[in-house]
Amino acid sequence: MRHYENLVIIKPTFTAEEIAAAVKNVEEIITSNGGEIAATDAMGMRKLAYPIDKSERGYYHVIYYSVAPAAIAEIERRFRINEDLLRFVTIKYTTNREVTAWNGLVEKAKKAAAPVKEETPAEEAPKAEETTEAAAE
Amino acid sequence: MSEKRKYKKRYCKYCEAKVDFMDYKDVANIRFSLSERYKIMPRRLTGNCKRHQDMISIVIKRARAAALVPYVVTRKKVVTNPFENLK
Repeated sequence: MRHYENLVIIKPTFTAEEIAAAVKNVEEIITSNGGEIAATDAMGMRKLAYPIDKSERGYYHVIYYSVAPAAIAEIERRFRINEDLLRFVTIKYTTNREVTAWNGLVEKAKKAAAPVKEETPAEEAPKAEETTEAAAE
Repeated sequence: MSEKRKYKKRYCKYCEAKVDFMDYKDVANIRFSLSERYKIMPRRLTGNCKRHQDMISIVIKRARAAALVPYVVTRKKVVTNPFENLK
């Protein structure tokens, strides 16, 4: 198992439900190939730096996961077929330094996404900070 | 003229901040090593060390692939700064 990160850009013409379905579809592709999703980060709709397939905007979604290296070829093949995606970027994290960075990114993504049930301490952490800030004020 | 350089001898900004890993999604940090036209700035101008220049060049190329940073900026596009619109 190796740590990976995938950034996908979903078409801007989709409605909220269609985007949710597309994201689910992407996650399903990863899990069906034996991947374990560690965290997801929805960066939301933003302007692209340059037009891709004549679209100026795109919905960014980042998925952190670990999977056997052999499965990546299949996952990327499925992504290329998928017409919901404008672009995808796969990053692998191999060296020790990169893996620790990956863990940090996963923690960050988990904290950003509040409704994560597994990570109760991560959920409480920002709340605690808020209370301390309020106390300081 | 060579003595009257625009850029002085610099230190590595990333070494000072002790950066071990750069995230390509963090555009604000990448911005330092990009020129006005979003070219990668050479080491002799920014003062980055070899190690961090290698890291930043990889990260910038990833960000370009992810459409976070433009590959080229034409004269038309210089007026409408892409980063201004992102925020």
